[in-house]
Amino acid sequence: MAVSTRRLQKELVEIQKQGTPVGITLLSADDFQTWLFTVQVLGDTIYSGELFALKFRFDGQYPIQPPAVQFVVDEKYQAPVHPHVYSNGHICASILGNEWSPVLSVIAVCVTIQSMLASCKKKERPPDNERYVKHAPENPKKTQFVYHDDTV
Amino acid sequence: MQAMDLPELEDLQPPEYTIMDEFQSLTPLRDYEMDAQALFAESIPDRPLVGPLVPMTSLREEYENGSQVFLKQIDWLISRGYTGVRRTKGDGDCFYRSLAFGYFERILHAPDAELAVMSAISSIESTPPLLEAAGFQPLVFEDFYETFLSLVKRILTPDENGKVLTPAALLEAFNDPEISNSIVVYLRLLTSAQIRADPEISDFLLHPETAEFVETREFCENFVEAMGKEADHPQMQALTQALRVHVVIAYLDGHSRGKEEDPVNFVDLHKAVGTVPEAEPVTLLYRPGHYDLLDTRSEDPMDYYM
Repeated sequence: MAVSTRRLQKELVEIQKQGTPVGITLLSADDFQTWLFTVQVLGDTIYSGELFALKFRFDGQYPIQPPAVQFVVDEKYQAPVHPHVYSNGHICASILGNEWSPVLSVIAVCVTIQSMLASCKKKERPPDNERYVKHAPENPKKTQFVYHDDTV
Repeated sequence: MQAMDLPELEDLQPPEYTIMDEFQSLTPLRDYEMDAQALFAESIPDRPLVGPLVPMTSLREEYENGSQVFLKQIDWLISRGYTGVRRTKGDGDCFYRSLAFGYFERILHAPDAELAVMSAISSIESTPPLLEAAGFQPLVFEDFYETFLSLVKRILTPDENGKVLTPAALLEAFNDPEISNSIVVYLRLLTSAQIRADPEISDFLLHPETAEFVETREFCENFVEAMGKEADHPQMQALTQALRVHVVIAYLDGHSRGKEEDPVNFVDLHKAVGTVPEAEPVTLLYRPGHYDLLDTRSEDPMDYYM
């Protein structure tokens, strides 16, 4: 069995046994290619009352390589307005790129993104949003972002 | 980006990202005092993760139009009996991968292979508690651990296909990305756990680009656990200690040491008793930004080609 499948199976069992952290819900994990979660930002934040969906796509390289992670943008969900989130749902976060580490799990990524939203003070899109969205590939892993500031 | 104050007529700044046809991470090349082409060859994607043993003279050829100091250092290594080099891919994991390959070779070629395997197994089996103490969940490391341990066990015990680990099978395993990268990941996590467990090492954790001090956890997350991040001295020290392996690094750095008779600096990383008694140390060859394996043989034994 591929390492990616074996690892994802274990992560799924863990989620079913332990549940997900507060504010994060598993929407679907029907196979080992695509998983969906909803994310809510808790407490008094600029996103209070909003519900987002995160889509994970895995290839055989997971967890040695990061999964492709993005916010779902469809008739039901929108990408949060955040300086690191493009309106097509793509996320510019170093842990999904060159700072990915195999010790991160799907849940760890959800929690990191949840806290990235929680610490945000001002709703705005990345300055190059329009240009990026116009040219962006379908899969965010095909974009090599330059990470400026992880404190936002 | 500071483009917001500028009129939005044209793209005054290049976009801050590159859209790639294929996801790949290449080690950024620095400006070296050597034939840059030669090093670049190391980062070409189709280069094997671990190559066959080749004569040092083939490496020498790449420097013939370059620095004289390099040539002198290579000639000296050859004269000292280091006639072969095994090149590894320049993907930022070369230190870990070279060390791992050398570690397996030492066990394979140990005078008493059975003792060497037993001793390696017991040393590897003692590492998961160190990883747990560093805060890693077994879930995130056990698959890598199993891959590493089972490859060591295969030296004596045939796998499900009835095959033991011959030198040729070792080379094959290290060119199977799943096995090879799993071992690299385990060694990275082990390195991180060892650094986290050692309060004294924190004085030596520097950012590889800015040379500023980095807090232990941040250093481990960003420069140890992440794939493709080159190892610096603290990582090397920690890993050789955790794995109990004697490593010697020959610095082919193009720096003249002013010693005609002894032009290559050898650094001994871990002199303590290794897991393979009386075995030769794993000898790595450093060139700026890259590690390969140095060998006293100039080609692989026949078994490699069977």
